[in-house]
Amino acid sequence: MAAESSSPSAILQFEAFQSSIDEGFWTRLSSLKLDTLGIDQSPIPITGFYAPYSHPGVSIPLKLLGESLPPEAGEETPVSPRDRNKCLVPGTLYNTNTYENYKATITKGLLQVEANKIWEDINSGKAEDDCRVLSRFFLITFADLKNWKFHYVFAFPALKLDPPATLISLRPAAKCFTLQEAESLEAACNQWRKSADVPFFIVSIASDSNVAIRPLRDFAVCQGDGQKLLFGFYDPCCLDDHPGWPLRNFLALICARWNMEKVRFLCYREKHGFADLELSLVGEALISAPQDLTKIMCRLAESAA
Amino acid sequence: MVLSQKLHEAFKGTVERFTGPRTVSAFKEKGVLSVNEFILSGDNLVSKCPTWSWESGEPSKRKSYLPPGKQYLITRNVPCLRRAASIEEEYEAAGGEVLLEDDDDDDGWLATQWNPKETKSSDEENLPSMENLEISKKNKTIQSISSYFGAGEEEDDIPDMEEYEDPDNIIETDPATLQSTYLVAQEPDDDNILRTRTYDVSITYDQYFQTPRVWLTGYDESRMLLQPELVLEDVSQDHARKTVTIEDHPHLSGKHASVHPCRHAAVMKKIIDVLMSRGVEPEVDKYLFLFLKFVASVIPTIEYDYTMDFDLGSSSH
Repeated sequence: MAAESSSPSAILQFEAFQSSIDEGFWTRLSSLKLDTLGIDQSPIPITGFYAPYSHPGVSIPLKLLGESLPPEAGEETPVSPRDRNKCLVPGTLYNTNTYENYKATITKGLLQVEANKIWEDINSGKAEDDCRVLSRFFLITFADLKNWKFHYVFAFPALKLDPPATLISLRPAAKCFTLQEAESLEAACNQWRKSADVPFFIVSIASDSNVAIRPLRDFAVCQGDGQKLLFGFYDPCCLDDHPGWPLRNFLALICARWNMEKVRFLCYREKHGFADLELSLVGEALISAPQDLTKIMCRLAESAA
Repeated sequence: MVLSQKLHEAFKGTVERFTGPRTVSAFKEKGVLSVNEFILSGDNLVSKCPTWSWESGEPSKRKSYLPPGKQYLITRNVPCLRRAASIEEEYEAAGGEVLLEDDDDDDGWLATQWNPKETKSSDEENLPSMENLEISKKNKTIQSISSYFGAGEEEDDIPDMEEYEDPDNIIETDPATLQSTYLVAQEPDDDNILRTRTYDVSITYDQYFQTPRVWLTGYDESRMLLQPELVLEDVSQDHARKTVTIEDHPHLSGKHASVHPCRHAAVMKKIIDVLMSRGVEPEVDKYLFLFLKFVASVIPTIEYDYTMDFDLGSSSH
């Protein structure tokens, strides 16, 4: 589908994260505003949901649903059995009272504040314990309840590698492993998906072709013993020549915490809900030192619904 | 039509209040499902086709006869590459028959495309080209833009935020510079990305008809909610506005398109009879697989159905 177009040169390019907000979110925000918030504009913690790429041809957006907002007072607590199709991502909602406030809130300062949270979580080691914070996002809204119109800006902060990572190779995962390794990797991924909601992980391949998947905090343990290491993440992207957005901050973590220059990564993707190594990609990227990671870039998407 | 629909909803609501949900199995005799059978079949769907999940839905809309965590089933972000209407036009242009109506009664819609593989394969041959895809520029009130802010210590090479405080400004004045500095450098060219509609397909339990019921929530090419009216473009035109109606979703906010369940039991009964006449004993936990196949004839371009690889017990092949 996508042409080979890794130009210019071989800078690693990421497909931007898409966003999608369901009506339930707006309904709930409205009643939250009327019943609880009033004119309070304090930031509210919210939850977004995504999953690895699974349906042919379309990338998975980060989704906001009614249950993304905290439950209202006196309401039944939401029943949320772990759902493999709804991996949780922490976010922050800045709901404003007027259109003027809304516009005034979209500032560089706020972008910096939000992106710094990711940077701090990487530096404190928190991101290795709860890797979901790497995909942290935020949302600025103005709910024009009289006209039932919602203005919003969705933002995915990313730590900017400078100079950017260069891509050495990016190929379907099926071509990068022996048959034995591939089978073991598929089984391990399916098991990982079933038992945990952890979108970033380490794949370690032992010399006997046995594949184990481990959480990021096990990085030190994974060293040595001639194991091959890959940094895996649930990839919402559908393109066969680019990884998705979540890899950006993951690379920042790998670079900042583990000082690696050459990184092998696995863009984990599925077909019909199961690991698929034809669709999943294995890439190799070069991060050249020295890096100044304090720079931040942010993807904003503004819409009215 | 609308009034009669409303009256019927009111009637249905009353009946549901006074009669409990079905507890005795009548799956083979009537094609209906009891609540437990719905859950059994749903569990089977989720385990075999893991893009489906159980959902709890909005707490205020929860049905007490269903477990809180298993109120309805959903699969999200299902691509819909082409409008159903355009496919039918092509069939007709090619002299092909779209519908095979039974004359004797209203069951004709079962016969439409009972073999979903045929629909599928013809779809695959006509792989979507970019020309076929509608890039949504229709709705002028919805703007979806992407823009990029760089922020950091070296203020010099960073676009001045003053210029961008007004988001409208971002759209009009600057995409070129921002793109040349950021987009080209670290993101793939947008042209390579396929833009298409997607659907969330959900299955609820309809207490009155004692069958599953399918709901469609559509999203346009930039993942903005589609008006339910536009969803009808992705429904077989013989069913749009007749068997497919726009109603309140029992577990979600807002109006959604739904395949009306009034004929579901009769159609399922027919399918079950056909299977049994071939000496196949249908199993109730496969009910939703059979059901989804028949729904595929109503929404031929929404590619949700992965169940065809599963053995339904058929000995015909």
